[in-house]
Amino acid sequence: MDSLTFIIFCPLIGAVLIALIPRSFEVLFRGITLGATGLSLAGALWIFSEFELGTARIQYEELVPWVYSLGINYHLGVDGLNVGLLLMGALVAFAATCVSSEIRERQKEFYLLLLLMTGGILGAFASLDLFFFYFFHELALVPTFIMIGVWGRGANRREAAFTITLYLSLGALIALVGLVALYLETGAHTFDVVAMTRHVAAHPVSESAQNIIFPLLMIGFGILVSLWPFHTWAPLGYGAAPTATAMLHAGVIKKFGLYGLLRIAVPLLPEGAQRWVGLLAVLCLGNLVYCGLVAMRQKNFGLLIANSSVAHMGFAFLGIASLSLIGVTGAVVVMIAHGLLAALTFGLGGYLHQRLGTLEMAQMGGLLRRLPFVGGVLIMAMLAGCGLPGFANFPGEILVLFGAFIRHPVIVSLAAWAGLIIGAVYALRAVRVMLHGELPQRRHDTPDAANAWRKLPYALLLAALVVFGCFPRLLTDRIVASAQQAIASVQGSSVAEIQHADDRLFGGSEPTKASIGQRGAFYAGQEGIAAGRSRRQSGCSIRLTGNAAHE
Amino acid sequence: MHAASTHLAWLVLLPPLGAAAGITLLALNRPAVSARLSIGAILAAFGVSLVLFTQGVEGRTAWTWLSIDDGRGTFVAELGLRLDHLSCLMLLVVTGVGSVIHIYSLGYMRGDRSVGRYFAGLSLFSFSMLGIVLADNFLMLFICWELVGVSSYLLIGFWFERPAAADASKKAFLTNRLGDFGFLLGIILLWAAFGTLDFAELEQRIGAGTTPWLPSLVGLLIFCGAVGKSAQFPLHVWLPDAMEGPTPVSALIHAATMVAAGVYMLCRVFFVFAAPGSAAPDVIAWVGGGTALLAALIAVQQNDIKRILAYSTLSQLGYMVLAVGLAGMAAGAHPVPAMYHLTTHACFKALLFLGAGSVICALRHEQDIWRMGGLARRMPITFWTFLAATLALCGIPPFSGFFSKDAILALAWERQPVLLGLAVAVAFLTSFYMFRLVWVAFLGPAKSQAPDHARESPAVMTLPLLVLTVPSVVAGFWGIDSYLIEHFRPGEGLSAPGWLGQLTAPFHHAPVAAFSGLIAALLGIVFAWRLYSHRVQDPLPGLLDAAARPLRDKFYFDEFYGRLIAWTQDTLARGADAVDRWVIGGALVKGASGSIELCGRLLRLVQTGSLQTYAFLFVLGAVVAIVLMLGW
Repeated sequence: MDSLTFIIFCPLIGAVLIALIPRSFEVLFRGITLGATGLSLAGALWIFSEFELGTARIQYEELVPWVYSLGINYHLGVDGLNVGLLLMGALVAFAATCVSSEIRERQKEFYLLLLLMTGGILGAFASLDLFFFYFFHELALVPTFIMIGVWGRGANRREAAFTITLYLSLGALIALVGLVALYLETGAHTFDVVAMTRHVAAHPVSESAQNIIFPLLMIGFGILVSLWPFHTWAPLGYGAAPTATAMLHAGVIKKFGLYGLLRIAVPLLPEGAQRWVGLLAVLCLGNLVYCGLVAMRQKNFGLLIANSSVAHMGFAFLGIASLSLIGVTGAVVVMIAHGLLAALTFGLGGYLHQRLGTLEMAQMGGLLRRLPFVGGVLIMAMLAGCGLPGFANFPGEILVLFGAFIRHPVIVSLAAWAGLIIGAVYALRAVRVMLHGELPQRRHDTPDAANAWRKLPYALLLAALVVFGCFPRLLTDRIVASAQQAIASVQGSSVAEIQHADDRLFGGSEPTKASIGQRGAFYAGQEGIAAGRSRRQSGCSIRLTGNAAHE
Repeated sequence: MHAASTHLAWLVLLPPLGAAAGITLLALNRPAVSARLSIGAILAAFGVSLVLFTQGVEGRTAWTWLSIDDGRGTFVAELGLRLDHLSCLMLLVVTGVGSVIHIYSLGYMRGDRSVGRYFAGLSLFSFSMLGIVLADNFLMLFICWELVGVSSYLLIGFWFERPAAADASKKAFLTNRLGDFGFLLGIILLWAAFGTLDFAELEQRIGAGTTPWLPSLVGLLIFCGAVGKSAQFPLHVWLPDAMEGPTPVSALIHAATMVAAGVYMLCRVFFVFAAPGSAAPDVIAWVGGGTALLAALIAVQQNDIKRILAYSTLSQLGYMVLAVGLAGMAAGAHPVPAMYHLTTHACFKALLFLGAGSVICALRHEQDIWRMGGLARRMPITFWTFLAATLALCGIPPFSGFFSKDAILALAWERQPVLLGLAVAVAFLTSFYMFRLVWVAFLGPAKSQAPDHARESPAVMTLPLLVLTVPSVVAGFWGIDSYLIEHFRPGEGLSAPGWLGQLTAPFHHAPVAAFSGLIAALLGIVFAWRLYSHRVQDPLPGLLDAAARPLRDKFYFDEFYGRLIAWTQDTLARGADAVDRWVIGGALVKGASGSIELCGRLLRLVQTGSLQTYAFLFVLGAVVAIVLMLGW
């Protein structure tokens, strides 16, 4: 079996095993799930470390033709865009399994669905064929609804399950319409993304079609990622979801929409992207600022982290909306960091809920004294959330802000406000109310994570955040080449746009302008750009950067 | 000089980081081990800094943290360390004062149940502060900037069970973040305009000329960072509250080093402000001068020993910022007076705080000076060292503070007489409130039972006091200013005259500034002596009547900001929350779900947990979509 198939099918085979084992062997279910997700994690780690740097080539490719008449292939492969996501997904799945000991009833079904979710989402990230891409995502999505309805928390979990189903189905449907339209418009008669990309490079989709299909994908995928104003399902759903589901969905499955935008929408529909990213950038402010403000008002920790997780998605959208190499690379880093962080915070929230029976912050206080480990990790998670250097979110967010500045200066300023200040306000308020202050009498016997096994999921996720935060090149060196390829088709027209933005921003004396011309070069770099333009850029580069000397 | 020796800079940086990580992972519950690790690390850093300083090593070394290269241009974020006169001197200040305070902490924190956490925080702070000192580009500076902010947050909130400490830590972090917001925008703007964040390259490119408004805007944005970190008006409110942290933390972070990082940064990137036509220096000078005066006025009516010192720190930081602004006003100037005052201030202000800590320990955590008195006889070492530091702070020759403060006054005399008047007024207020403190707490009669049982602190605390006294007294004769001038103007460092020449130089060089500063300081001492030498209650409120109240209440800044935040940000948040609950979440979604009742009923089948239903629904969806597509 090839390595990617192994990663995807470990959980799926585990699910089949669980389905076959009678309910009375309850002890086995958790073990099988741990084993299956652990194997996936090992495989993903192996692929991540063996991944060849500096190339946009598809690696670990598997191609099995399936339906010839429609051009559907079982096509798997990794490049910079998804290799980190696969690792993150497998890690979160393993951690989610670890924290699932809180589930006491109907374990068989729970673990079966958890494995389906895991296999589905890993499959979606590894697929290079639209059909499997979509199919695997649905395979991951359906268990989410069921798990919230059956194992969820709180009185309104049924309503939550209902809303989230309605919303996400709508999003998936809109995206599906976009994808089908894309299939028809490219005329390549294949669902294979690689083949489509190659075909589109020679025969671009007509501009009018691009302008209709791109927003369909943007809104459809956007709903799946809780793009403002289509975000209200997220806090409701995550507030009601069992811990593992919230971790997997908020952490991993939600990245599907972003990944879809980067893998499909932007490379295949460059003109549409050019036209619509302005709107995307404005909407992402809704996430960053508006949802951040909403998070400030939450009295329930579960809702606070749910809103905060929605708010942080804004950085990923902003990175994509920058259509620049730096911004898009940053967006991928943010996706990975956010996945780890969301899983960590939801995991900690689940721990507190299990021990305290509530997540109302007014019922807590001074918990750090009783919970040195969980409390300490929670403080670090909150600080990571407000963009502290040393955690993976920081390099991602900084790249996004730098990458998007020239195209969207005002939006970047507001995004920085949201990230630096609004994010810090609610994060520190949560720490102040829950962990600092005096310990209420009735909380005196709250137990901390007792042994290494209990600490493992949190320690793993935190360690990943710290490692990627301190050594971001582990991610960026893998991402860059593929990010470059993803936006290559956009860049030709982008340079003119950036130059225009530069002139608007700095339009003054000659020296500044010249130095800015070099910024334009950041966004260019493709061979296919107009000769006059490239002459101007290289002239500037030589004048201003030492490392451009090889020109 | 030698490439190999610049790599030594890593040996300054890494021991504290290793100690912080090691304690956090392994020794959180082992007080002795954690203390040894942390103190060993800072001593090692101090040793290496001494070597670097004496060898005169210059140069840079870098490790690429992040680099995105698309073949033509590069976004590089390096952790680059730069060794020159500026950073070497600052390294010595940070590691030297840091070492003393680490050792002092051993005595002060004895018996606390979280000593491990304390030393981990202290080492994290040392690492990030040294990172600021060594940084050779804006991104690394910003990273370390954020890290000192968080270590300050963790240490102010060290006794997190006390609500005041928990609130103060949060306030400090958030206020700093406000400044950092401007700072980050400034950095992004610089990068967008000049394509690099490296100090040396930026200096060249800015020097080559730009649009006129750019240096002003960038300068002001970057100054925002210093306003937050160095607690300048209007973001000064966090520093007095930060005194809720343990006293050695106040000495190290909130007096000697971190709060001075803002000033250090301004000196390090002075070229941004020195760009011709920039409006930033004037703003900087007036903000600094205003802060100095404002804080000195408030200090006059404070009664908590640590808060008096905190306002004094604010006021002295105001002096330094003022000096940076004054230097930037004329072309071709250099901010040496600011750095000079930073250096001497770090020594004597740390000494003052450690002395206060010694008093607080002896009185079992009594901090109100009106419950002290007569401590001079009971705690002689503490008293005499405290007095030496006070004289240095007041600028009485031959103590170190006189020379550095005089350099600032002389600069003001050259540039802006109004600001000189302001600075002289601050000098008067400084010696007034400091000697008020000395008389009330140490010399005057005992005002409560508390001082009766006070005894001198153990040697682990008094020895650091004695060590810090040396630079507080004699640093004026070490030629720190000529060493610094070498950095900004190679070859112009004055050949240092003899110590007598050094002592009289200020009176030759700018007699008006020197004499007015000295007379103001002496007047302040005399006033304090007349008013406070025998009092058991503060007579000033009676004398000043209603005017004393706003001083005592810190000009109502906290109340004003509380209201402001309630009106703006909280209102926005409440509005957003309401919209979220009722409009988007309620009316639209519920309305939609209500109106498509059929859809709702179909989807209710979800709760049966039937996968087949799902599969069916999605296939149905796909079919509908395809039909739509074909029709369209």
